[in-house]
Amino acid sequence: MKITIPHIHKIEGEAGFWAKVTKTGEIEELKFQTLLGLRQIEGILIGRRYFEVPIVVSRICGICPVPHILGACTAIESALNVKISEEIILLRKLLLAANIIHSHTLHLFFLSLPDFFNIENDLELLKKFKKESKAALRVRDLALEITRIVGGRAVHPITPIVGGFTKIPEKEKLKQILEKIPQAIEDANLLVDTFKKIEYPEFERETLFASVFNGKNYPYYLEKIVKIGEEKFTFSDFYSVQIEEDLKSPPVKKVKFRGKAYMVGAIARIKNNGRFLTKNSREKFEEFLKERKIKEKEYFKNIFYNLFSQAIEVLYFLEVCQELLKEILKMPLKKEKPEIKFHPSSGLSALEAPRGTLFHYYEIDKDGRILNCNIITPTAQFLHNIEEDLKDFLPKILRLKKEEQIRKIRSLIRVYDPCISCATH
Amino acid sequence: MRKPKVALFSLTSCEGCQFALLDLGEKFFDFLREIDLIDFSLIEEIPFPKGKVEIDVSFVEGLPIKKEEINLLKKIRKESKILVAMGNCAALGGIPEMKNYQGRERTIRYIYKKLNVENPEIKEIDNFVKVDFYIPGCPINGEEFLKYAKELIKGKIPEFPQKPVCSECEHQGKETCFLRKREPCLGPITLAGCQAICPKNFQLCYGCRGILKNINPKGFLETLKKFKSPKEIEDNLEIFGIKDDIEKFLKL
Repeated sequence: MKITIPHIHKIEGEAGFWAKVTKTGEIEELKFQTLLGLRQIEGILIGRRYFEVPIVVSRICGICPVPHILGACTAIESALNVKISEEIILLRKLLLAANIIHSHTLHLFFLSLPDFFNIENDLELLKKFKKESKAALRVRDLALEITRIVGGRAVHPITPIVGGFTKIPEKEKLKQILEKIPQAIEDANLLVDTFKKIEYPEFERETLFASVFNGKNYPYYLEKIVKIGEEKFTFSDFYSVQIEEDLKSPPVKKVKFRGKAYMVGAIARIKNNGRFLTKNSREKFEEFLKERKIKEKEYFKNIFYNLFSQAIEVLYFLEVCQELLKEILKMPLKKEKPEIKFHPSSGLSALEAPRGTLFHYYEIDKDGRILNCNIITPTAQFLHNIEEDLKDFLPKILRLKKEEQIRKIRSLIRVYDPCISCATH
Repeated sequence: MRKPKVALFSLTSCEGCQFALLDLGEKFFDFLREIDLIDFSLIEEIPFPKGKVEIDVSFVEGLPIKKEEINLLKKIRKESKILVAMGNCAALGGIPEMKNYQGRERTIRYIYKKLNVENPEIKEIDNFVKVDFYIPGCPINGEEFLKYAKELIKGKIPEFPQKPVCSECEHQGKETCFLRKREPCLGPITLAGCQAICPKNFQLCYGCRGILKNINPKGFLETLKKFKSPKEIEDNLEIFGIKDDIEKFLKL
C-alpha cells in the first residue's frame, strides 16, 4: 500500500509525504520530502561584503527573518570582536521574543488548530472561533508592531545591522507598546486555554531534546552551552563535533546528533529550561499536566504537545517583552556606531529561533568579505525526528480510512511547525 | 454576482510576500471574503486541481528552480486570465540571482562539493510565461498589493506610476539625504510605492523594486562611482537582481 501526500499545505514552504507499507503493516519506505529548489544562500554569500550578510540571510525565511539577521550579526561581531552595548542587546532580545510570539501564534492558530476540528479553510476557522481568532490576531498584531517599531518592518526588518541598529526606536512608541501588553497577556491566556482543551492524539516515543542552556533562566539570545538529553556541550563543540550534516540528501542537509535523531523548538526548550518559566506560564503548564493526569516526564513523550508548548511560550515571551520594555525605557537610548576593524577571523553564534536552535558560522577575510559560511537551521535538525515519529505513528493509524490517515499524518507533521524555506535555503 | 476567482502560488522563495499579506490581518481576510479563493496553500487544504481550472487572477511569488515548478508555472499561465508576478524574486530574480553573476558552478560547490544538484541559471518568471502585471518589492508592501489587487480582480491592468523612491522619502532635499553624504543610495532610479521604508530607517535603497522605466540610469551611476569604487556599486546592484536590468539599459 502506498500513502502519498504530494503537497502538504499550511506549512511554511512546500513539502510532501510518501510511504510504502506492506500488507502486514511494515513500513518499507517513508519520506518527508521538501519540494523547494536550492537557493544556495551560503554559496551566494562567499565573497560578499560583511554588511550584506544580514540583508541576504533575512531572505532565507519570511516568517523568521529576525533570528537569521541576529544570528549573522552576532557571529560576525564575535569574529571581529565588536563590542555591543547593553541597550542594543535588550532591543535585540525584544525583537527576537516578538518574532517567536508572532511565528508561534500564526502556526498555532492558522496552521495547526484547524487540524483538530477538520476545518479545511481558515475563513471557516475565523467563523467558528470568533473570540479566539480575534485574540490570536491581536497578539500577533502586537508582536508585529514591536517588530515594526524596533526593526522598521515586519517582514525582513531593516534596522538591525552588524554593530547594532541603523535607527533606535522612539521611547514614546515603546511606551505605547508596553501599555498594550496586559491585554495581549489576557488574549494569550485565552489561547493557552484553547490549546489546553484540545484532544491531542495519543502517541508515545522518546527522543532527545536540544536547546541552549545556562541553568539560570530560560535563555534564547546568544548562549554558550547547548543541552541535549542530559548532556551539556559548549555551543562550538556541539556545532562542530557532536552533530553531523548529511551531505548526500540535497537540497536539505539533515542533521543528526551522534547518529541519532533529535528535537529542537518549543517543547525542547520547555524540557531543558521549563523550571525557569515565569510564575504565570509555569502554572499554566502545571495545570495542563494536572488536568491530564500526566507526569512531566510523560509530557515529553508526546510530540503533539509541541503545540501546547508553543502556546505556553507565547504567554512566556509576552511577559519577557513586558520586562524588557520596562528595562529599555529606563535606559538612555542613543544611536551607537561601534568601530568595526577587519582582520581574518571566524565567528559562530547559537540562538533560539521560533522552531529551535539556529547556528550561523562565518569566516571573514582582511577586507571584510565572507570567505566561508554555514547555517544550520532548526528544521534541518528535526527532519529526522519527524520521520522517526511518522514511522512509529503510521502503523497505529493503518486501520483508519485513507482520508483520515492523511489527515493524521498532516497533523503530526504540522505540530513540528516545519519551515521548509529555512531547511532548504 | 459571481465572485472573481483568485489564486496565490509560491515557487522557491522565502514566502515573505505571502506573510506580508497575512500580516495585514483582518484587512486581508476581508479581501479574501470578496473573492473565490482557488489556491493559497498557506491557509487552506484543498489541492490545486490537476485538470482544467479557470482563474481570473493568479499571483505568483518566487522563482522556478525545479522542473516541476516550471511546469506548474506554465499550467498557472494556461488557466489564468491575468498572471501577476508578486515580489522581487518573481519580478526581478531577487537575492538568488546573485548566483548568476558568480558563476553557477562556483556557488554550488561551496555547498555540495561533488553531488549533482538542480542548479539552473536563475530566471525571472517572465522568461517562462507572459506576465501581465508586476507587484515589486522585497517583500511586497501589503497595502500596495490590496490597492492593485482590487483593480486586477475587476479584470483591469492597473497603471504603475513611474516615480522614484525619493519622491516618498522624508530625507529628500535635506542634510540627512544619503546622496548628500556621498552614500550610494539607489532611490533616484528605483520605483516608488514602498514609502521609502529603507531610507526612512537609515538604510540605503538597494533597488529591490526595480528600475524606473522612463529614465536612463547611466548618468546617475556615473555619479555614484565618484562616491564609491565601481566594484562597490556593482556589488550593490547585484543584491536584489537589478544588475542585469541595468545592463540592458546601458547597452541601448
